[in-house]
Amino acid sequence: MNLKGKWTITVVMGIVCFVLIAVMFMQFKTVNQTDITSIEIMRESELRSELASWKSKYEDVQEKVEENNERIEEYKQGTEDNVKATQLLEEELNQAKTSLGLTDVVGEGVVVTLEDNDTPPDYYSEDDVYDGRINVYDILQLINELKLAGAEAISINDIRVVDKTDIAWVMDTYIVVDGVRISSPYVVKAIGNQTALESGLMQKDSGYMDKIINAEDKKATVQRENEIEIYKYDKDWDTKYIQEN
Amino acid sequence: MNKKYVMLTIGIMCFLLTVGICIQVKTISNTNTTGISKNATENKLRDEVLRWKERYDNAYKQLGETENILEEERKKATEDNEETTQMKDELNKINKLLGLTDVKGEGIILIVDDNKDADSNILDQNAAVVHDGDLIEIVNILKNGGAEAISINDQRVVSTTAITCDGSVVRINGEKVGAPFEIKAIGSQERIKGVLEMPYNYIYWMGADGIDITIRKVNSIEIPKYEGIIKREYLKDR
Repeated sequence: MNLKGKWTITVVMGIVCFVLIAVMFMQFKTVNQTDITSIEIMRESELRSELASWKSKYEDVQEKVEENNERIEEYKQGTEDNVKATQLLEEELNQAKTSLGLTDVVGEGVVVTLEDNDTPPDYYSEDDVYDGRINVYDILQLINELKLAGAEAISINDIRVVDKTDIAWVMDTYIVVDGVRISSPYVVKAIGNQTALESGLMQKDSGYMDKIINAEDKKATVQRENEIEIYKYDKDWDTKYIQEN
Repeated sequence: MNKKYVMLTIGIMCFLLTVGICIQVKTISNTNTTGISKNATENKLRDEVLRWKERYDNAYKQLGETENILEEERKKATEDNEETTQMKDELNKINKLLGLTDVKGEGIILIVDDNKDADSNILDQNAAVVHDGDLIEIVNILKNGGAEAISINDQRVVSTTAITCDGSVVRINGEKVGAPFEIKAIGSQERIKGVLEMPYNYIYWMGADGIDITIRKVNSIEIPKYEGIIKREYLKDR
């Protein structure tokens, strides 16, 4: 009886252990499954951002379609009147010139000031190489981030930055914007939505301030302003190599 | 006493088993509900994305039509008047400079690609991949060389164009673009090739890091117009 009892107990314990291990396996497998579900969660947020992007693109185009239709009506009404046509064209021309950067403009936005930093931070020893100078890539990145955040007009030390503006780094020392040499401090003005511009630059880790400035101990400040003045681009601008129709 | 000990052990094991089964059932029920509802939400979202994309495509087509009608109206309104015809021509020139028209001309085509050689002795694998910063600097160099129109994988570069990298995906004008990057530039072939091939410039070091770079002169380059809208919401003329 005692031996039989012992056997029964051993077998029962064996079965229980087996079931317990089986359950543990299933548990691990289910947890794995849950990780796959988190990828699908990512797809959902990707889909949401794609949806938002298509919606906003649609709205921008719709707005332009309505603007165009209004203009068409104005032209149709004014066909008899030469003065009207001149007026309409002047309006269209001015709007186009403003978009291109050929007019002085004013509006809300941000002012970013970059400065060469001659003082190495405390943790730099005398033997370490420290270069706190603002270089051309710092400025190119800033302009790129401002455009990403919707900047509609940009200037550096009051030089208008337009589509064809290049920024050169001469002898790894001088920054030259559209052929004009500038030096520290670099005052970059941008007109656009203040909140979008500021939050874009100040975003943790991926924003300009964290990525470029804080990561490299460079000196920069971002200031919101309500009446930023940006002057026009006033040099010649025409094309020689684009074939005319 | 032995019996009690054994009973206790079995009791504890049964308890653990029950707890294990309960956790299992709970996890399964969670996964199942999230699994099923996630699929439904995703399908709904996918449908919505397709619907808005279609709406956008239709609106964009409409935009093209209104642009044509508008140009017709301008022609009609300025036919007999030299002054206004000049204004109309100036408007067309500005739209061309804004990047809102398809353009054609001689220039340079530059192709940059991630290093393909799997077992090369490239020290820094990260530097052998094309980044947004590289494209930004290439565009800058082309502008320094007087490029009159630039596109990257047929995305027109305009005044509002931003080039970004989120993770491993490069976006230009908000659109996903992947390597190899075909960069077209219309302008003086001599001048553009000159700035691209200046000794020890950024492009030289890109090549040294392992990026594949080819530069060639092409006589008839076609660059498409910018397909977005350049906005003037916050600008006020002074």
